[in-house]
Amino acid sequence: MTTPLLKLSGLGIRFGGLVALDAVDLTVAPSTITCIIGPNGAGKSTLFNLITGIYRPTSGTVALQGDPITGLPAHRIAARGIARTFQSSRLFEDLSILDNVIIGMHGRTRTDVLTALLRPAKSRRELEACAAEAETILRGISDELFARRYQPAGILPQADRRRLEIARALASHPKLILLDEPSSGMDDRDTAALMADIRRVMADNPGLSFLIIEHDMRLVAELPDNVVVIDYGKKIAEGDFATVRQLPRVQQAYLGQKAVEHA
Amino acid sequence: MSTTLTNIHSRTTLPASLIVAATEIGGAILLGAFLLAESTPLVVALLAVMGALFAAMQYRPQIEEVIVAAFHDARGLATALAVAIVLIYPFFLGGNTYALHLLIVSLLYSVLALALNFQLGSANIPNFATGATYGIGAYTSALLAIHLGWSFWATLPAAAIVATVFGFLLGIPSMRTRDSYLALVTIAFGIVIHQMLNNLSWTGGPNGLVGIPAPSLLGHSFMRPIELFGFRLPSQANFYYLSAALLGLAILSAKRLHESRVGLAWNAIRADELAAKCQGINVVWYKILAFGVDAFLAAFAGTIYAFYISYISPDNFTFLVSVTIMTMVIVGGMDNTLGVILGAFLLTMLPEKLRVFSDYRLLFVSVVVILFLILRPKGLFPQRQRHYGGQR
Ligand SMILES: Nc1ncnc2c1ncn2[C@@H]1O[C@H](COP(=O)(O)OP(=O)(O)OP(=O)(O)O)[C@@H](O)[C@H]1O
Ligand SMILES: [Mg+2]
Repeated sequence: MTTPLLKLSGLGIRFGGLVALDAVDLTVAPSTITCIIGPNGAGKSTLFNLITGIYRPTSGTVALQGDPITGLPAHRIAARGIARTFQSSRLFEDLSILDNVIIGMHGRTRTDVLTALLRPAKSRRELEACAAEAETILRGISDELFARRYQPAGILPQADRRRLEIARALASHPKLILLDEPSSGMDDRDTAALMADIRRVMADNPGLSFLIIEHDMRLVAELPDNVVVIDYGKKIAEGDFATVRQLPRVQQAYLGQKAVEHA
Repeated sequence: MSTTLTNIHSRTTLPASLIVAATEIGGAILLGAFLLAESTPLVVALLAVMGALFAAMQYRPQIEEVIVAAFHDARGLATALAVAIVLIYPFFLGGNTYALHLLIVSLLYSVLALALNFQLGSANIPNFATGATYGIGAYTSALLAIHLGWSFWATLPAAAIVATVFGFLLGIPSMRTRDSYLALVTIAFGIVIHQMLNNLSWTGGPNGLVGIPAPSLLGHSFMRPIELFGFRLPSQANFYYLSAALLGLAILSAKRLHESRVGLAWNAIRADELAAKCQGINVVWYKILAFGVDAFLAAFAGTIYAFYISYISPDNFTFLVSVTIMTMVIVGGMDNTLGVILGAFLLTMLPEKLRVFSDYRLLFVSVVVILFLILRPKGLFPQRQRHYGGQR
């Protein structure tokens, strides 16, 4: 068996008395899409924060391609190849759309202060190359974003903000992208485009995997290879959507009591 | 983008070179008039002219766009003309040593403001200790010159290195504190340095250090006037050229850092620290780095100041100095080099030009600052977006 891309073992975190996440095991294989579902407050975003180094786990380990990355600072984890978006998007509002994407390339570019000061041609060449690539990424995600690339990111409407965050994540050439509710604030057409984008990006980047927190059942039904259900900080089920949705605990926990009565 | 801008200024049918020349020469004349203005009504009138220009820019943003586009199209000319103006400027001041002195101080404060801009403007780090690092630079070079007989040119890098070490030390708390708390730490640092300068015996205590020897270059002492082509410039002109060269260096550094991965990382931290981390930016390191760069440049300014005045005391490097530098950055325009320099010139010269109001002088300075901020809420020249691939 090949080493999994991401492996969480017994991952957990407590905030004071609150156990936000408890002994979660999860394996993500290369070139796959995994969706995480669960009710509000279940601990889904917390899981992302643990994987990306925003929080330090109180128990358990995270390994990327077999290397332990547990407790590393966020910027080192990002540089190792995990990119993410945020539930309420966090763009660099006053910077241009293009600069937002270029900053995504920070981890794989090298110019330091001395190079910038003493070898400006080298520094400029690097940044120009980033800009050219960022334009390609933007054009691939949305012509609209590309056309507005010199405008500040802060003026974008919700759906475009999500797209730009995905573009920024792609810019780092990650091995794994975590999307936290990417379709929120999107209408059906936007969501369909989002799914098409994810599939296209997967096809363009062999080995790349997605871990997606989603509430939109249409997306969860169509896109992932694997669905993980989290409730009260615990992983309560895993499998393909058709199987997972049948489980009574899932219907109760996630789809709500009504769904159980209907079943 | 650039085509629409060409359209705008083809409507005005002025070639880029003409716009550049008119802007630079106009700016130089306005500055000269301000420097030489003796009467208060004239000073107020000149401020009104400046206010009107900025009001025009506020209500007609195209004006700024056209000028920026022209400077981009004719950047070679813009640089050459600017250098030429700086070089010949002292000849137009008619041996007015006071005007020359004001210019030198303005130039040094411009360097200090640009130094702080790496933190406040680029990375949104509120550092209230630029005055202290400026003082560390001044004292280091003065001590080396007085006690060890080092030449000015040798003390320059030494002072910069010492101040940078202090800058890095001051940066370390930024690992754990942010925003207002970090501001408090820097205020405390500034006060500690000031108190130390005041109380240590080897820094001369409150009396400071006197008798810092004048620098010389290729046998020409900076105490002596410059005689060139039958013209004679007062000895201050030496320091004018030195300070202008330093500002040139600071502008170049600011430009190179801004247009690099480093400047982008600082801007990312300014906008959203957490998101910056998740892009692989080592936020702690970049913050400490900003402290180091600030201290490095501030120390250069401190060294030139010490050798120019030949006498320094703790009162030159108080908390108030740091606050003034901060005001320069904010009024001029965060993260805009030209804006920051303009802010520094304005805030250096205003208090001098409003001396007639004696005790109320600072009140009037504040009123002018507030008026300018009402007119241009984001600073005289706000931050601009980067452009790539030869585009503007
Ligand atoms: N920094 C923190 N300090 C204290 N409690 C926290 C912290 N972060 C998260 N929590 C708590 O952990 C629990 C899980 O939160 P989390 O944001 O992970 O939920 P979620 O599954 O993403 O929910 P939603 O669908 O609403 O986004 C919540 O009870 C939340 O209040
Ligand atoms: Mg969440």
